[in-house]
Amino acid sequence: MRLVIAQCQVDYVGRLTAHLPKATRLLLIKADGSVSVHSDDRAYKPLNWMSPPCWLIEDPDVWTVQNKAGEKLVITISEVLHDSKHELGPEPGLVKDGVEAHLQELLAEHVTTLGEGWSLVRREYPTAIGPVDLLCRDDAGATVAVEIKRRGEIDGVEQLTRYLDLLNRDPLLAPVRGVFAAQIIRPQARVLAEDRGIRCVTLDYDALRGIEPDEFRLF
Amino acid sequence: MKIRVERDGLADAVAWVARSLPSRPPVPVLGGVLLDTGSESTSEHDDGDQTLTVSGFDYEVSAQVGVPATVVTPGRALVSGRLLADITKSLPNQPVDITIDGARATITCGNSRFSLPTMPAEDYPQLPSMPELAGAVAGDVFSEAVAQVAVAAGKDDTLPMLTGTRVEIEGDRITLVATDRFRLAVREFAWEPTSEASSGTAVLVPARTLAEAAKTLGGSGSRVELSLASGDGLLGLAGNGRRTTSRLLDAEFPKYRQLLPSEHTASAVLGVAPLVDAIKRVSLVAERGAQVRLEFTESSLRLSAGGDDEGSAEEELPLDFQGEPLTIAFNPGYLLDGLSAVRTERAHLSFTASSRPALIKPVGEEGQVLPGYLYLLMPVRLPG
Repeated sequence: MRLVIAQCQVDYVGRLTAHLPKATRLLLIKADGSVSVHSDDRAYKPLNWMSPPCWLIEDPDVWTVQNKAGEKLVITISEVLHDSKHELGPEPGLVKDGVEAHLQELLAEHVTTLGEGWSLVRREYPTAIGPVDLLCRDDAGATVAVEIKRRGEIDGVEQLTRYLDLLNRDPLLAPVRGVFAAQIIRPQARVLAEDRGIRCVTLDYDALRGIEPDEFRLF
Repeated sequence: MKIRVERDGLADAVAWVARSLPSRPPVPVLGGVLLDTGSESTSEHDDGDQTLTVSGFDYEVSAQVGVPATVVTPGRALVSGRLLADITKSLPNQPVDITIDGARATITCGNSRFSLPTMPAEDYPQLPSMPELAGAVAGDVFSEAVAQVAVAAGKDDTLPMLTGTRVEIEGDRITLVATDRFRLAVREFAWEPTSEASSGTAVLVPARTLAEAAKTLGGSGSRVELSLASGDGLLGLAGNGRRTTSRLLDAEFPKYRQLLPSEHTASAVLGVAPLVDAIKRVSLVAERGAQVRLEFTESSLRLSAGGDDEGSAEEELPLDFQGEPLTIAFNPGYLLDGLSAVRTERAHLSFTASSRPALIKPVGEEGQVLPGYLYLLMPVRLPG
C-alpha cells in the first residue's frame, strides 16, 4: 500500500473524459495495481480511479495509469507532500457473523443463563453433520444441545432438529434435549421449536456482555 | 348432535373461548373450540334447561363456559374457533340451531345458514380439571387489582420472570406484584380463603393471561373463585359461569420488598386528572420515550419537556407539597400508567432524590393516603 499526498491535476481519457483541476489529494496505489484519487471527503469513495488489471508509468511530474482497453488516468503532479509505502500482509476478511460467534462464546461462559446448575460440556461439539454450538448438562446431568442464532428463524430450528436426531443415536448422550437460543425468535420458529419439544430462550446480548444500560433501573 | 341456543349467549361464549386460542396452532385441532352437550342421560328429561359447554385449550391456557341450550340430540363436536367466533358474532338476533351431521356442522339462524367442516373431537386434548378451590373474592375487586398491577409487568421475553404477575397468598390477604425493572406495582386485598392449604404460597402467573381472565371473569356483582395447584403448576379462575386455567411460570421473581423505600424527603398530593392532562400536553413535544421533567417547589409543580432542538413545552400546576424542593424526570408513559392505576381522584407522590425511585399511592376523600396499592417508578437521568 503506497500513500502519496500531492498537489495534482487528474485527467481521465477513455470512454468518457473527466477533469480534476489542480488541488491537494491523496493517491492510493494498492498492491493489486489499482490507483485511486481521494479528496478529504466522500468517505470511501474516490474522485477517480482505475481498477486492476492496470499499470502505472511514473514519469517525472506525470503519472500515467493505463489499462488494456487503452483508457488512461493521467495525474500531473506539481508537488509531492508525502510518499510512504507499507506492507499490510494478507487480509483476514470481514467477519459479518461476529455477533453470533460472540454470543456462543458469552453463553459458554455463562451457561447458567440457560438454567441454574447447568454446566458446559464443550463448544462446537462435533457431529457427523457439523458442530453443535454448545453441548451442556443440566442440573440433573441430562445432555442438552444448544443452537445459537442472532435471529431465530425456522431454518435454525431445522438445523437443531437434525443435530438432536443424530445426537440421540449416541447411547452415551441420549436422551438429548434441545435449546434454541437467539436474540430475537420469530413466532413461527417458536411454534415449530416448542412443538418439537425444543425450549426457546431469548438472549440479551448486552446483559451477557455485562454492559449495563445507562438508564436508571430498580434492580 | 342437534341443539338450539340463544344467539347472544353463544356469541359471547365462543368469542371468549376463541380469544385464548393460539394464533398459530401447531396442531390444527388446537385452533378449534369444543362444543359439548354432556352425557346422554341429560337428554332423557327434555326440560329445556340443559347446557352447551364451549371449551378451548392450547396446553397453556384453557377456557370453558356453559351456555343454556335446548338439546335435541346430545353430542360433541370440534370446529374452527376463529371461524365460529366470526360467524356467531355476525348472526342476526334469533335462536341459533346447530346440527352436526357426520363431518359437517350446520349453523342456521334466521335466514342464514352456514356449513363448516368439523375436526375429529377424539383428537382433542383433555382439558385440565380445575385444581382444588382455594378461596373467592368479589369480581370487581379482583379485576381492578389485577389491572392495577398488570400495567407494570414486563413484555420482553428476555426475562421471563418479569412477564408474570406474582400472586402471594397469606391468610386472608392476597398480594399481587409485577415489575419490569423500571416500575413495580403492588396491590394487596382481602379475600375469603376456603382452605388453609394455600396460605403462605406464592405463584407466578403469566401477566397477560391473568389480566385477560380477570377482565372477563370479574363483572360487577360476580365472584371469582381461585383454585391453585402449585405442585402441578396450574392456576384456575372461575366466575360468571366461566372457568379458565393457566400454566404457572417456573421462574424466580425478584426480591421486591427490599426495593420499597422506607422513608422519603419530599411528598406531594395532586389531582390525578389535571396532572395526567398536563403530562399528555407537555409530552407532545417530547420524542417517543423522551422524558418529562417535574420541578417541585413549595407552591407549585412545573412540568416541562423537550429542548431547544425539537420544541419545548411547560405547564404549572398548584399542589400540596412538603419537604425539600426537587427536580425529577420520568418516562411519561410509565408515569401515566402509574397515575391511571391508582384509581382515585388524587394521588400521593413521594421522593427521596432525583436518582431514586418515586412512590405513587392513592389518596382518599379526606386527603389520607390509602393503603393497599403502590406504584414504584424509577426516574430517568436528567440532562447534564
